Amino acid sequence: MFVDPRPPSVASADHAARGALTIADLDKSFTIGGEPRRVLDNINLSVKAGEFVSIVGASGCGKSTLLRLIVGLDADYSGEIRLDGNRIASTSLDRGIVFQDHRLFPWMTLAQNIELALLNTDTPKERRAQIVADHIALVNLKGFEQAYPHQLSGGMAQRAAIARALVTEPKLLLLDEPLGALDALTRVHVQNELQRIWMAQRSTVLMVTHDVEEALYLGDRVVIMAPDPGRIRRIVDVDLAHPRDRGAPLLHRLKDEILAELTAAPADPANLVRLPGREDRR
Amino acid sequence: MTARAPLAALTAPLALLALWQLAALSGVFPTQVLVPPADVAETLWSLARSGELERHIGESLFRLGLGYLIGAVAGLAFGACIALSRLAEAALAPAFLAVWQVPVIAFVPVLVIFLGIDEPFKIAIVALATFFPVALATFDGIRGVPKAWFEVARVYRTRIPDLILRILVPATVPAVLTGMRVALTRSWVVLVAAELLAADSGIGQMMEMGRQMFRIDVVLAGVVVSGVIGFALDRGAKAIEHRATRWKYA
Repeated sequence: MFVDPRPPSVASADHAARGALTIADLDKSFTIGGEPRRVLDNINLSVKAGEFVSIVGASGCGKSTLLRLIVGLDADYSGEIRLDGNRIASTSLDRGIVFQDHRLFPWMTLAQNIELALLNTDTPKERRAQIVADHIALVNLKGFEQAYPHQLSGGMAQRAAIARALVTEPKLLLLDEPLGALDALTRVHVQNELQRIWMAQRSTVLMVTHDVEEALYLGDRVVIMAPDPGRIRRIVDVDLAHPRDRGAPLLHRLKDEILAELTAAPADPANLVRLPGREDRR
Repeated sequence: MTARAPLAALTAPLALLALWQLAALSGVFPTQVLVPPADVAETLWSLARSGELERHIGESLFRLGLGYLIGAVAGLAFGACIALSRLAEAALAPAFLAVWQVPVIAFVPVLVIFLGIDEPFKIAIVALATFFPVALATFDGIRGVPKAWFEVARVYRTRIPDLILRILVPATVPAVLTGMRVALTRSWVVLVAAELLAADSGIGQMMEMGRQMFRIDVVLAGVVVSGVIGFALDRGAKAIEHRATRWKYA
């Protein structure tokens, strides 16, 4: 087994001031049928600049809600979410997001879709085409600049969405089950792409997924969430340098461990209180 | 479309023509009642040569054009208004939906009383026939823009003018154009019907005069002409729709 002793974040030390995320005492409730319902309960999480953190958990554990709060689409929460010390209250070009559905506009070509992200930036017009072209190349979609989304396969469209999210050079990239709708083979391919892109860009990444293997393959740390109400159950370090080998025994051991933890979860919330609410083994 | 498709499209009209000719030859109906197709063609030709047909078509198309323009602009404005303002929707939508259920042709008597049987009446009936489908399509089109797309615009902090021009309008255009195409053929039908009831010129009036003088050949010529014009309008509108949503077929 080859384990690089160098912690993964060292490579991004020069980005130290860019994209550090702190979440403190975060609570979020929705009103459903007149009753307040807590969906996120006491979330505390620090993500270092340049770190790749995966979040796994059963559906309904509030992981997508968490991303919506971080990206700024929903400012109605209590507690603190700070990016480089600034409290998040609305959307910002500092933060990019890729949704599970690619959300490309069907009437725009791939290049136009990506350029849309640059409309409200002070990037000079003549630079934009170059930046768009660079990002299309980054996600290996060269030659498809003029294609419409319906002409792209699912994996290509999702890569295009990743390019759009990266084109503003966000400090923090949020991925909301970006590969959830892809078939198994395409998933593996785009996972490799994601790893390569992240290694090239080194922005902070927070990825929600329900695929434990994917979470471990890409994440420096894996946050395990529990539902009803959504909370962090445990945080697992993945001490393995990138690029990673899918066959690494550590990944398999951790996968078995996490799966056991997720599937052994008692459905009765009364039993959950005995489990450690949060555990950062760092 | 394959090269054979236009030929295939001709088979049904040709079969109908043959059936018509056979029925006329069978002698079950007198030829004054069931005029053979050749006679109708001859009547059409003489109507065209005398310039009478051209005059009637011109009058009808002018009414259609002007009425359609008024109705479409009003429909777009009204549809956008009730789609964008909850207050306007609450105040206006129920009445709108109730009136929408009334066949447009049922407004003819009222309109004739207020506007007489001259141009304003015919233009008004076309505008009315156009207004409802366009307003409804605009409303549905705007309301149907997925929330997800607004979220994308928020994430990239797209400015309002860009949001409207690059996202809202293109997202709404397909539905609105379909509504406008439906409105166009619908208002053509309503116009011809209104001309049959009350007019001094136009394709409908030409048919009505033919009926009164028992010139069934003229009536049938009018049927053919209004059918062909309606078909051409629909095809033209479809071509525009296709062009405006080219990305779908790329």
